[in-house]
Amino acid sequence: MPSQIFHRGPTTPQMNITPLIDVVFLLIIFFMLVNNIISEQSVQMIVPQLDEPTTRELLDDSGRIIVNIAPAEYAHSERQGNPLLFDGEARFIRVGLQTFAADDLDGVTAALVEAKEAFPDAEVVLRSDGALYYGVVQPVMGAITRAGIDTINLVAFMPERGAATIQIGE
Amino acid sequence: MQPNLSAMIDVIFLLLIYFVTTANFTPDEGALTVKLPQGTGKTTQDLTLPQRPLNIVLSPAGEVECRIRIEGYPQAPAGFAELATLLVQLQYDPERGRSSGAFKPDSPVVIRPKAGVRWQHVANAFNAAVRARYTNINFAQVSK
Repeated sequence: MPSQIFHRGPTTPQMNITPLIDVVFLLIIFFMLVNNIISEQSVQMIVPQLDEPTTRELLDDSGRIIVNIAPAEYAHSERQGNPLLFDGEARFIRVGLQTFAADDLDGVTAALVEAKEAFPDAEVVLRSDGALYYGVVQPVMGAITRAGIDTINLVAFMPERGAATIQIGE
Repeated sequence: MQPNLSAMIDVIFLLLIYFVTTANFTPDEGALTVKLPQGTGKTTQDLTLPQRPLNIVLSPAGEVECRIRIEGYPQAPAGFAELATLLVQLQYDPERGRSSGAFKPDSPVVIRPKAGVRWQHVANAFNAAVRARYTNINFAQVSK
């Protein structure tokens, strides 16, 4: 008499892969987010919007030293209309991952001298909000000059795909 | 027979989160290369060049707008596209068929914004000068 248990013959075990996929996707998302946070040298701001921009592509993270001039904190919805209708004073200045007070220009110069020694080939990128006053941005350009840097790159929005880019200088 | 929906929903939500986090909603940023003035301990030098500089003066108008003026020229461009056109007219470059102007492509162009001008307008003026193919563009120190 066949046993009740082996009535249908031996069963082949089936692996349930759904939880496996769940966990794998979660891991992928986790590492992507962590990676993003680590490589984030940028401060939240709206960079200038140009008429027919001549901007070119930025280098990778490793080939550039970013100087951020941060505007006052804002919620995304606050600047939906005209992004220039906003406070023009700087909140802080960030060189790479170091943060300085908006008036600590000597600190900015010192940090840039140090960064330039460590990465002599890196290009210096000045990222400033479009709404900031020129009276706030110009002293920072002065501080960059005092660090012995002769070329900087101003960040602005890229043109729509297909537009030509122009490089200045010799 | 009822298929088990919850597992499928799990995976679909994960895929949704994945694509939402990887999507890039902000426009790409690009760079404009600028040569900074070099020299003494001063931030910027007063220009003592033999060539006459082309001064673009920006002054604030209202809360966010700015007025554009080219020193020595009566026409005030209404926008930065017009400024670029005017800068082309002022350029002397026979190779490109520009013979009307008084400034060579390597003549110094100085952007002179007042302290209250928004950075976007300054970057736009710089961009206009680049578009007009000037090669020696400088930013002046803040003038009150």
